[in-house]
Amino acid sequence: MEAENIIEMLHITKEFPGIVANDDITLQLRRGEIHALLGENGAGKSTLMSVLFGLYQPEAGVIKKNGQVVKIDDPNDATALGIGMVHQHFKLIDVFTVLDNIILGAETTKLGFLQKKEARRKVEALSERYGLKVDLDARVEDITVGMQQRVEILKMLYRDNEILIFDEPTAVLTPQEIDELMATMKAFAKEGKSILFISHKLNEIMEVSDRVTVLRKGKYIGTVDTRDTDKQSLSNMMVGRPVQLEVVKDPAKPGDTVLRVEHFSVPSKTHKRDSVHDVSFDVRSGEIVCIAGIDGNGQTEFIHGLTGLEKGQGTINLCGQDISHATIRQRSTHMSHIPEDRHKHGLVLDFTLEQNMVLQRFREPRFQHMGFIRQGEVRTYAEGLIEKFDVRSGQGPVTIARSMSGGNQQKAIIARELDREKDLIVAVQPTRGLDVGAIEYIHSQLVAQRDQGKAVLLVSLELDEVMSLSDRILVMYEGEIVGELDPKATTVQELGLYMAGAKRMTKAGESA
Amino acid sequence: MKQKGPTLLSKDGARSVLAALLSILIGLAVGGVVIVITGLATPTLGASGAWDGIRLELLGIFSTGRNAAGALTFGFNSTNLGNMLFRATPLILTGLSVAVAYKTGLFNIGAPGQYLMGTAASLMLALGIPTGTVPAGLVWLIAFLGGILAGTLWGCIPGLVKAFLNINEVLACIMTNWIAANLVTWMFDGSDFRNLVENTKSGYIYKTTFNGVSTAKLGLDKIFPGSQVNGGILIAIVIAILMYILMSKTTLGYQLKACGANRHAARYAGIADKRNIVLSMAIAGGLSGAGAALYYLSGNTEFFWSTYQTLPATGFNGIPVALLASSHPIGVIFTGCFMSMLDIVGLQLTNLTAYNEYITDVIIATIVYLSAFSLVIKMLISGRGKRRSAGAPAAPAEQKKAPPPEEGPAPAGRGSQSAKGGNEA
Repeated sequence: MEAENIIEMLHITKEFPGIVANDDITLQLRRGEIHALLGENGAGKSTLMSVLFGLYQPEAGVIKKNGQVVKIDDPNDATALGIGMVHQHFKLIDVFTVLDNIILGAETTKLGFLQKKEARRKVEALSERYGLKVDLDARVEDITVGMQQRVEILKMLYRDNEILIFDEPTAVLTPQEIDELMATMKAFAKEGKSILFISHKLNEIMEVSDRVTVLRKGKYIGTVDTRDTDKQSLSNMMVGRPVQLEVVKDPAKPGDTVLRVEHFSVPSKTHKRDSVHDVSFDVRSGEIVCIAGIDGNGQTEFIHGLTGLEKGQGTINLCGQDISHATIRQRSTHMSHIPEDRHKHGLVLDFTLEQNMVLQRFREPRFQHMGFIRQGEVRTYAEGLIEKFDVRSGQGPVTIARSMSGGNQQKAIIARELDREKDLIVAVQPTRGLDVGAIEYIHSQLVAQRDQGKAVLLVSLELDEVMSLSDRILVMYEGEIVGELDPKATTVQELGLYMAGAKRMTKAGESA
Repeated sequence: MKQKGPTLLSKDGARSVLAALLSILIGLAVGGVVIVITGLATPTLGASGAWDGIRLELLGIFSTGRNAAGALTFGFNSTNLGNMLFRATPLILTGLSVAVAYKTGLFNIGAPGQYLMGTAASLMLALGIPTGTVPAGLVWLIAFLGGILAGTLWGCIPGLVKAFLNINEVLACIMTNWIAANLVTWMFDGSDFRNLVENTKSGYIYKTTFNGVSTAKLGLDKIFPGSQVNGGILIAIVIAILMYILMSKTTLGYQLKACGANRHAARYAGIADKRNIVLSMAIAGGLSGAGAALYYLSGNTEFFWSTYQTLPATGFNGIPVALLASSHPIGVIFTGCFMSMLDIVGLQLTNLTAYNEYITDVIIATIVYLSAFSLVIKMLISGRGKRRSAGAPAAPAEQKKAPPPEEGPAPAGRGSQSAKGGNEA
């Protein structure tokens, strides 16, 4: 039976200061299977994979390949053993071309000169065979996130890896790209490659994996066959308690108009056409309005224009005030903003958690006196938020934000933004990359805010989220609002048609 | 939970201090090797000359010359110690200039230019305002503030260019440095401040004492008789403490650091990122200008105005001073003193041994160069700490089972362990 497992990680324990990230974890990967590794944020999935990839050395435990104990000291050892990994945040050089990125570190040379033609032939063949479409001569900075991921996959294939690790690969993809990735992974498995698929998205795991190993708070919970289980029992294993997968909410009771956007456009930085063109809509208190659409259809630019990060044309009225030309700070007196890019905008990564918690509020008399920061108050406040929103970190309020897991970084941002108690909450993909427990919590928080009479403007790429959370859906396509739908009266298919631009409403509101 | 903040701070602080001390030791050791090699290779020095050199390298600040038998003597030397403090004054301020900018994510290589502009402004004010009508003390204050203002304005230029045109501040700083060098030369070339009284000194500007202006001694001349020390060092120390408070206790410091660490996030949070970038550079420039003012207003220094196309080393030396202190404003006080001590050591070597000034410069430069590696050494120490704690036997079972975030004592315990290199398991 031994040879059946291509990789075995036995009784792995890995500690960090203040935290046991992996506590006696065993993972057995069979040849030719897709093995999902499921767990909440901070459950130790990424740590375990980093141990396998040689980035961390475990305190205890052994790794076996084909039954032989192997020692993996660094990623080079892992590569030599045929282990490849697509990291959650891609490891690509932005200013290099796709081809250069793929061959980097494994260049074919003759007398010290690069043999790019040979490399190109090999990459083209691989790309052809698996349907991984990439433009080999484009620079990485110019291509979409989906294509960047295909580049990462081609990197593994180019190195003839037989064990492929995908660390939360779907977090950054559009629904269509996710489907393509799933098909690609199945094709790999059919050819005998073994895949470790790290995720906390139950739909994807149910669809693609053969077996699932569940981790919780650094501990091994169990391994099950996918066909013997279902979403509910997997999520219960992962969270340790029964989880509500559906959003529970009463019908919305919309009140006064909080946000009114009229003929709003945002000029594009790269094209002559506007990124956002002539958008008008209202958001009232006590409702959740969702802007749905495929990534890159102007949602990001619209939110930047609305929040003041970019300049836009048109009128924005928030709580009765014209904020079309207001500064970000003026806008934020009535608006909180959960940003799309948590590393770029959401957090100062080198600051501590408590410093990040008061990023907008440090000027309030509660947190400063005559220009001096009231350190004790900041600490107490941060501890309160950490407790209330269950933000987990190694050292509490003094943890450097960079060292926290992605999910907990997002929880910290949500804690900060929701606690500011503003009339309008702008939430851009608030649950991206989060586990079911956290998603359940954030959804219930957004609904609670709505029920308190707040106006919520949600931007989401996830159809499930759009359908279950929103009270009204605005579909954005190529920078314009092409439809307004009632989630109770529409179907995912119809929504999809609007998102793809196949259908649109006229200004009168009739579908054309 | 509450006590964890200080623990972490002191952990990181202890590491920085340890790294700085280690890199100083390495610098001194390598400098010693250079001394021995040149000593043995030079007939006039030999083994005994090299031995003298080593002793002076380490204890030069306490050197009291040679006794009747020709042997080196050591003891309390008020001149050396006082001069060390005097020379440290501008170094502390240019060090602060670089350190404060660095804390806000900017590399201020423009300290020499800001220093020159500060020099020109404070000298012109100190010599130009007649002390017959205005009290000398007031002239001193005006000249001091004028020096700061000139440095501030000169620092603003790279700040503005960075904030509004997104041009790298290093480029802008280098260019403004050279503009300052030539501008200052041109301004003094046509001025009445050239020393025409002493005809051997035509390349120099008058000392400020020519107009009766000099920094108050504040009793320091009694403690260090025979030296040039004055109240400037106390002003520098006060400024360093103020900078520490500004950077770590105030909302302004918080904003400046936020802009430096992540300009986008600062903007998102409604912090005026452009204003803060300009402000950082303005503060940095003002500090360099203050350094120049304190040095040239001392009354015993004279400015060589025909600095045609040279930049003051004091400006550049701010960089190793800041690096060695890990950009900590209080640390800068000590590293500034260390750098000026090396100056004194160099003088002692040239005066008391056959090491000539050129090789002395090589030795001192070696020490400075290696001292600036403290950041690398800090990383090595941290890495070693991590490996040590990784190699240590697993923590007791009950500690392991505790849920990680809520358990206060466990992280703190491990923290102190890695700070001390795993000695207290």
